[in-house]
Amino acid sequence: MQPFDYFSPKTLPEAVEILSRHNGDARVVAGGTDLLLKMKGGRLAPKAIVNIKRLAELRGISETSNSKLQTPNYHLPITTIGALTTLEELRRSPIIRERYPSLCDAANTMASVQIRNLATVGGNMCNAAPSADLAPIFIALDASAVIAGPGGERRVPLEEFFVGPGKTVLESGELLASLEAPPPVGPSLYLKHSPRAHMDIAVVGVGLAAQLSGGVCESARIVLGAVAPVPLRVRRAEAELIGGPFSAERIDRAAKIAAEEAQPIDDVRGAVWYRRKMVEVLVRRGLTAIGGIEN
Amino acid sequence: MIGQRIPKLDAPDKATGRTVYGHDVRLPGMLHGRIKYSKHAHARVVRVDVSRALKLPGVKTIVTADDNPPTMFGYGKDNTPLKGQVVRSLRDEVAAVAAVDADTAEEALSLIEVEYEPLTAVFTPEEALKEGAPLIHAEHGSNYFTRYRYSHGTLEAGERESDVTVEADFELPYVAHAAMETSVVVAAFDHRGHLTLYSTTQIPFLLQRDLSEALGMEGSEIRIIQTAIGGAFGRGLDIYPFEPIAALLARKAGKPVRISFSRYEEFLAAPVRQPAKVHVRAGATREGMITFRDAYALLDIGAYVSWGSVTPLVMMETTASLYRIPHSRFAADCVYTNNPITGAVRGYGNPQSTFFVETMMDRLAVALDMDPVDFRVRNANRPNEETPQGLIITSCGLKECLEAVAARADTARQKDEGKTMKDRPHPSSFIPHPSKKRGIGFAATLNVGGGARIYRSDGCGATVKVDDFGHVSLVTGSTEIGQGSETVLAQIVAEVLGVNVEDVNVLNSDTDVKPWDVGVHASRTTFIAGNAAHIAALDARRQLFETAAEMLKTTPDDLIAKDGHVVAKVSGKSAELGKVARARHYREGGQVILGEGWYDPPTKLVDKDTYKGNISATYGFGAQMAEVEVDTDTGKVRVLRLVCANDVGRAINPMAVEGQIEGGAQMGLGYALTEEVIVEKGRVMNPDFLDYRLFTTADMPEIETVIIETDDPQGPFGAKGVGEMGGTPTAAAIANAIHDAVGVWMTTVPMTPERVLKALMEKENL
Ligand SMILES: Cc1cc2nc3c(=O)[nH]c(=O)nc-3n(C[C@H](O)[C@H](O)[C@H](O)COP(=O)(O)OP(=O)(O)OC[C@H]3O[C@@H](n4cnc5c(N)ncnc54)[C@H](O)[C@@H]3O)c2cc1C
Repeated sequence: MQPFDYFSPKTLPEAVEILSRHNGDARVVAGGTDLLLKMKGGRLAPKAIVNIKRLAELRGISETSNSKLQTPNYHLPITTIGALTTLEELRRSPIIRERYPSLCDAANTMASVQIRNLATVGGNMCNAAPSADLAPIFIALDASAVIAGPGGERRVPLEEFFVGPGKTVLESGELLASLEAPPPVGPSLYLKHSPRAHMDIAVVGVGLAAQLSGGVCESARIVLGAVAPVPLRVRRAEAELIGGPFSAERIDRAAKIAAEEAQPIDDVRGAVWYRRKMVEVLVRRGLTAIGGIEN
Repeated sequence: MIGQRIPKLDAPDKATGRTVYGHDVRLPGMLHGRIKYSKHAHARVVRVDVSRALKLPGVKTIVTADDNPPTMFGYGKDNTPLKGQVVRSLRDEVAAVAAVDADTAEEALSLIEVEYEPLTAVFTPEEALKEGAPLIHAEHGSNYFTRYRYSHGTLEAGERESDVTVEADFELPYVAHAAMETSVVVAAFDHRGHLTLYSTTQIPFLLQRDLSEALGMEGSEIRIIQTAIGGAFGRGLDIYPFEPIAALLARKAGKPVRISFSRYEEFLAAPVRQPAKVHVRAGATREGMITFRDAYALLDIGAYVSWGSVTPLVMMETTASLYRIPHSRFAADCVYTNNPITGAVRGYGNPQSTFFVETMMDRLAVALDMDPVDFRVRNANRPNEETPQGLIITSCGLKECLEAVAARADTARQKDEGKTMKDRPHPSSFIPHPSKKRGIGFAATLNVGGGARIYRSDGCGATVKVDDFGHVSLVTGSTEIGQGSETVLAQIVAEVLGVNVEDVNVLNSDTDVKPWDVGVHASRTTFIAGNAAHIAALDARRQLFETAAEMLKTTPDDLIAKDGHVVAKVSGKSAELGKVARARHYREGGQVILGEGWYDPPTKLVDKDTYKGNISATYGFGAQMAEVEVDTDTGKVRVLRLVCANDVGRAINPMAVEGQIEGGAQMGLGYALTEEVIVEKGRVMNPDFLDYRLFTTADMPEIETVIIETDDPQGPFGAKGVGEMGGTPTAAAIANAIHDAVGVWMTTVPMTPERVLKALMEKENL
């Protein structure tokens, strides 16, 4: 490993200042479960490391009421998930369990308890692995990224946060402060396919959220992980569902379209044909289950 | 003492971090060595320039092929520590650096300039055998290394007698040992120029000889000290270049040198299980009697020969002698390629051959419309018979093993097809799965259980000393590699001397101290080293009794050893062991109590032309039953239950036997479902535990072990070996269960979701 400077700021402005000063040569470290592996493997050699673990602002899961929001269930609060929330905290949070059980599902499939106690939600986003498990489901839940930087705070829909493998919209000096999830519009689900039960990266991950009323699909978000350079919303598949009955035939068609929309590559974790097939299977299963939850 | 469930004596120190592993060894002035590997799978080395690297502060020395002694080493005498003219695989060592720390050494590697002239490389045995293919070792004259040709009976007769025949092609992958501890060695020279090597080898005495060749030294100038071994699984059965390289660096630097592999390097440069393509045919009569079995295996042994090239001997045994086989033929060709070097891995050819042999058994059973267990029992090997291959089977519990797993399967046989994933902790995974199908499958295994004579001697020496305090030291030639041998050997000695197992210390790690042994392999330690320890303990006891008889005024045959004392049966008088030892030490013309034992089993090397002969003093048998659930949408196979029955002769320590079987099953499950070193054009594509998938605790099914005791006539207290059998039949049992569930025959491992789904789709398209 190459030598590096180490900073451990106590406040957010201080952290932003250090990051800005290094002009892209500094890296944030949260749990370190992605970063250290890359550094030890020689794939990253930052000049400085900024430990953000002491930034209280980035911790915790909280709710804020927001009556201005014109979404269904607007009477329910917005949930803010601090970037430093660990995967285990996410999994165990009563708020998350009650409101977004699909996030628990996703956290449940991730790593091991030891890793989950270190790994953070922010790290999972900012590492921007195409297979990151939380990304598809957060996007399906219509979450936004709250970004802190030299110019203050800005919000980006999470869907637009990812630019490519390992790349996000974060600019030099910026860091991810939290994710904001609007009140759920209906049932949601995360399904992951990997050879092992745990400690495995998704061959395909699927985040699903739908709003159903009287058997009709009012809205649907289908987001795929590990089959494109970034988490992929498959809008043609969504369109197939929206405005019609949530029937087996339509679900089947949407699943097939989602498989077409996927852009997987061949690698040691799966062949293109297999990944497409798994998109179809998981989307079909997930949507069917969502229909079941609704009834 | 014998038959007791005694936790491993070395476990508390291991669990609390007190054990000294190879990676913990630090010697004064020790340097850190790193190896520069080839950039090409096959190339001529034009120039190696180390001048820039030598200038890096902290670099102490660099070795290249110029530092090699003139001799070649290795099983095929085809290897040198460093490669100077031709590199034959991506793991070929072209230079090595010793520096004050590992980071400096690593940086120095990047400053070494190597100029190559690429040569055509071959990455499959088929390519390597084509007309005009480049020769991997020109001096060898051919890319064939060895060709095995075995037969008994006549195949034509076997075919004539058959009412059904089945035929299939199998493809078997590279597999890594994936030991928790990566390869490590520390080399140090003393003022005489003698080498001490701290090593995790499984063959300390053979390594002395191998190293003497690799370094151009005398074996007597080399001392091997084995550190605690954090898993080996066959990796330590040969010499590998990093060991002599460490010694060359240490000699040149005049300082001790350690080379320890990173995990990445371990995947890249440690030997792997050799991949094979196998064509198999088998037949049976309408009555369910096997008529013949015929197999041809093409093995890729990689760029240099190691023990991977001898695994056909084991495949041959499974093919020709698992069940009564009237007619059999087995042929194998081991071929050089520019792929990674292959070595010995637990089971040594047997997981491979049991996979094809035992899935073929189910194909026959299906063709005959017979129960797979009935069919196997009908053809099972029996006690006290010689197989046509010349294996002399004495104790044999194959039938009992099969019946034991079958009895436990009956209750499990429930094909419910609409199960939900209720056991998953997800709040929202109550997903209906009409696509999940269940099945059960069986497979049996035959393994050497009384040593395996692959060298001229299959012996092991031992000494047992009793000291002034009644404390007992067993010095054994054999090695502890995590299998629990220290505990079992201590139990054997404790039983003979009538002491507690904690009173026996087992020393087994220094070639200057311990008597000779072939090595720890072939499930041989309990049987061979156990017999040697038994003999040595009896000898020590004879000496104790001799002195005690004088002390207690009786004759030795009136004495027994019990509770730390020598007791006279008639008078009831006794003397504490330490006291007897002291009496022997302090008397005029005194002597020590030092029992000596040597055991070499009554076996033969196989005949070099016919491959027939009894290589083991006894054979172990086992059977497994797997219950699986196949997701027909994704191809994912979940093992719900695995029942393992093993004939171990006598379980000296049932807890240790269970540990061996469960650990073996864990490797067998990985072999069956997830583990594969993916090699493309000679390059390992998944050199980490992310993409090389071991079975983790979360994947493990419930494992039930059944111990069958047949009291082997030659084993120590009736015991025979079990070290490898736990994992050999697992893949076959699972494949058979998959067939039971969804009707497809898998011919490749690991049976990944992708492969299973592909097989299902092909079946549907038929
Ligand atoms: C054994 C193992 C198993 C794993 N299993 C899974 C799995 O099943 N699914 C999965 O998706 N991932 C998995 N991971 C990957 C990893 O644990 C997760 O991505 C984790 O959430 C990363 O969080 P972290 O806090 O450790 O990130 P870090 O390693 O600290 O950071 C990751 C990257 O994000 C940047 N970063 C972190 N926080 C911020 C922030 N607030 N603002 C700006 N940049 C930031 C860092 O600079 C770095 O580039 C696994 C990792 C390991 C080692």
